[in-house]
Parts: sequence; C-alpha cells; structure tokens
Amino acid sequence: MTTTTLSRGGLWEVNSRTIVYAAIGAALYGVLGFLISIVIPGSNNVSVRPAYALVPFFGIAFGPIVGFFTGLVGNMILDQLTGYGAFTAWNWSIANGLAGLVAGLLAASMSDRLRSSSGRIIGAAIIAAAATLIGFLFVFTDIWVFGNSFEAALTGSYGFVIVPNLIASVILTPVLVAAWEPLKDAIGR
Amino acid sequence: MNIAPRYLGRGSWLARRDPRTIILVVALVGITVIQIWDIRIVLVFLAGAFLWYRSARIPFAMVRRQWAFVIVFVSLIVLWNTILTGGEIGGFERDDMHVLFFLPLLGTPISAEALSYGTTQFARFFTFATLGFTMAYAIAPADLGVSFARLKVPEKFAYAIDLTFRFMPSLATDLQATMDAQRVRGHEWDKGKGGPIAKLRRTVPLVVPLTMNAIVNAEDTIDAMDLRAFGTGRRSWLRELIYDRTDRIILIGVVTLLVAFTVLGFAGISSKLYVFPFLLALPAA
Repeated sequence: MTTTTLSRGGLWEVNSRTIVYAAIGAALYGVLGFLISIVIPGSNNVSVRPAYALVPFFGIAFGPIVGFFTGLVGNMILDQLTGYGAFTAWNWSIANGLAGLVAGLLAASMSDRLRSSSGRIIGAAIIAAAATLIGFLFVFTDIWVFGNSFEAALTGSYGFVIVPNLIASVILTPVLVAAWEPLKDAIGR
Repeated sequence: MNIAPRYLGRGSWLARRDPRTIILVVALVGITVIQIWDIRIVLVFLAGAFLWYRSARIPFAMVRRQWAFVIVFVSLIVLWNTILTGGEIGGFERDDMHVLFFLPLLGTPISAEALSYGTTQFARFFTFATLGFTMAYAIAPADLGVSFARLKVPEKFAYAIDLTFRFMPSLATDLQATMDAQRVRGHEWDKGKGGPIAKLRRTVPLVVPLTMNAIVNAEDTIDAMDLRAFGTGRRSWLRELIYDRTDRIILIGVVTLLVAFTVLGFAGISSKLYVFPFLLALPAA
C-alpha cells in the first residue's frame, strides 16, 4: 500500500491533471448539490448536502488547488444552476474554496504521519472537519458585505453552514477516501 | 436528465451584451452598494438593478421560486440580525435611539434607527440578488469560460471552468444511471426510515461509484489533453468577444459610480445610515 504521493514541490503545480480533476470535482459538486439535499426536520430549510463532502475529498486526494477550485467553482455553479447567480453569495463560494484548500494543505502536511489505511481514513475525517471549521470562517465577511452583526454572522451564517457541512464531510469524506485508496494504486496515482 | 443553467434571457437586450459586461456590472455595482448605507441612494441602485434585470426579459413564472426564497431568506436574516443585536446599531448610543415599540415576548426595543437599518439591509440584499439573477439567466453557459479568460482570469483556471460545464451533462447522466441501477437492486436513497444521517448514509451507494467512475474516466481526458500538448502555449478560444459602444458606455458608467461612491463613502456621506424622518416623528415608546 502506497502513501499519499503529494510532494511539497508539486503542491502548487497546475497541469492537465490538476485542471481535469478540478473540473470533475466542481462539476460533481454542482450536479450532486443540485439533485441531492437532505432537509433537517424542524429546521428552517437547513439542508445537508452530501455534495459538500467532495470539497475536502478532492483537496485531500489531489491537492489544495484542486480542492480550492472544487469548492469555489462548484458552489458558484450550484448557485448558477439554482438560479441565484454565481456572484450573489461570492463570499460563501470563497469559503467553500478555502475549505478545499485547507484540506489539501493539511493532507500534504500530515501525509508522513498517516501511513496505515485506517489512519488515513480517520485522518480524512479529522482533516475534513478542520478544513470545514477553518475555511468557513470566511463567511464572517457577511459582517462587511451585508452589515450583519457578529452574533448574526456567528449563528445565522457560520453556525448555519457549519453544522450540515460537518455532518456531510465527517461521514462521507472518509468513505470516499477509503474507496479512492485502492483505486489510486490501481491506476498508478 | 438535463442539468445546465437556464438561459432564460436568450435573445433579450441584456443577453446581447458582451457577457463580460454582465459579469463586471454585477461585480462593480456589488462593490459600490456594499459601501452605501444611505437608503435613498441604495433605492436608486435597486431601481437601476431592477431595470437591468427587466432588460433580460426573464419570465417571472420561471423564477417565482427563486424570488420567493430570496424574499423569505433576506427577511429572516434582517429579523435575526435585529433580534440578536437587541436593536443596537453601530454608531448610535442606545440612549439616543428613538424607540418605537418592543418586540412581544423577546422585549427587543425596535427603534427608528433599527427599522431604518433593517430596511437598508433589505434593500442592499435585494440589489445584490436582482443583479445576481441576470448573471444566472442572461449569460449563455458556454460563454462563461471564455468570458473569465478575457477578463484576465488565469487561462488554465478559465479553461477549467469551461471544462466543468462540459462535464456536467455526462455526470448527470451517470448519476441517473447509478440511481436506476441501485433502484433495480432495491436501494432508494430518499425512501426508508431514519433521520438526516441515515439518509446521508444511504447516498453512499450513489456518491461513491459516481465519483470514482468520474475520476477514472478523467484519465482519458487528461491523456487527450497531454497528447495535444495542453499548457505548452497560449490557448485560443473559438468564441470571439467584442465590447460594442453600449457595453463601453455601461462600463464607464459603473466604474464612475464605483469611484464616486468610494470617495463619498470615505468622506462619510453615503456610508452614513439615513434614518427615516417620519419614524423619528412617531411618538416614542
């Protein structure tokens, strides 16, 4: 079993592989996000989007650039598909992108420590949770953009998005990593 | 299964504009409005945004749900913000505020200043959303990649956006095929008992095969791009974009507004909250 092969030198390289994986990640986010969401009963239309788990997964599997693009463009495309416009919630799209970026950076920095298969799967859950918590701090820009108070940004923006995204990413991202590990070896990644 | 942005503004005056103009208007007017807290000016921008939206000739029946969501969402955010702040507004001392009434049960004081602030917030949100709709419905999906490339977004990034739109139809078809295959096996993700987490777990047999197939199939695209020496030279785009005279006039106008209101904002003129005089004239609670 091989370990993650991301080297620090190649972390920021943009080649055909980066472009295609980023586009696949964003397209998957858009398609899955558009078609599958789970409304939390009793909440005010708060929904868990399984598609969000792809953001930390693409960051972990293919690096920070792919993770960033998957989150940023995936969320923009989802907003285009749902009809609200790619730029309407631009700061939330950046927050999604930052979650993917942080996941990629954490995965690269922890790759030496996560050697066993089970370690990588548990690590994926931890990285996904940390990336979500850190990346979505960017939604506090709602204070500047919309004039919300800190309390409203904390509960109405950050809390509103963190809970469903943590649920989705902590459950699904490790599953995706577990499925990707043997496949990665099989296709020589 | 057809998944693509709905190009509802096709053929309209707005859709005939250079797509870069639509993108830049959304971005530049957005940045301008962020700096304004005088509702009289925000309302002028909202009226302008609405005219801009109307020029896309988007049938209301097709976007009714989106408008309803925006109105409900914005109202909730504004109300939530008011309740959480206890009616306090930055720049105003609590004792100096003109309290009109108290919210039942919560006892939050609602002042003329808080109502003016909430109304301004609502108008600002609405301006962003109205402009945002034009980007969603008045730009041909195939033009987004080339538009970003011509706006000096890094070429590879713009190409990835273009590629994203090309992957979506085939991925939607794959998702439908996966759903059908799992249904034949008796698995339906949206049926059955359990809460959101149980439902989320039931999406695993859809999400995992779809994602892994997409990644494996991506190898063919990567090989094709490598064989055509992708990234070794400057890429050309088949679609030519040219600003016409109207586009130039519009862009000069929005840049002028941005500069003017940035200056006025720093001077403390447009960035100051305007409190409705008729609210101040009402008797205090």
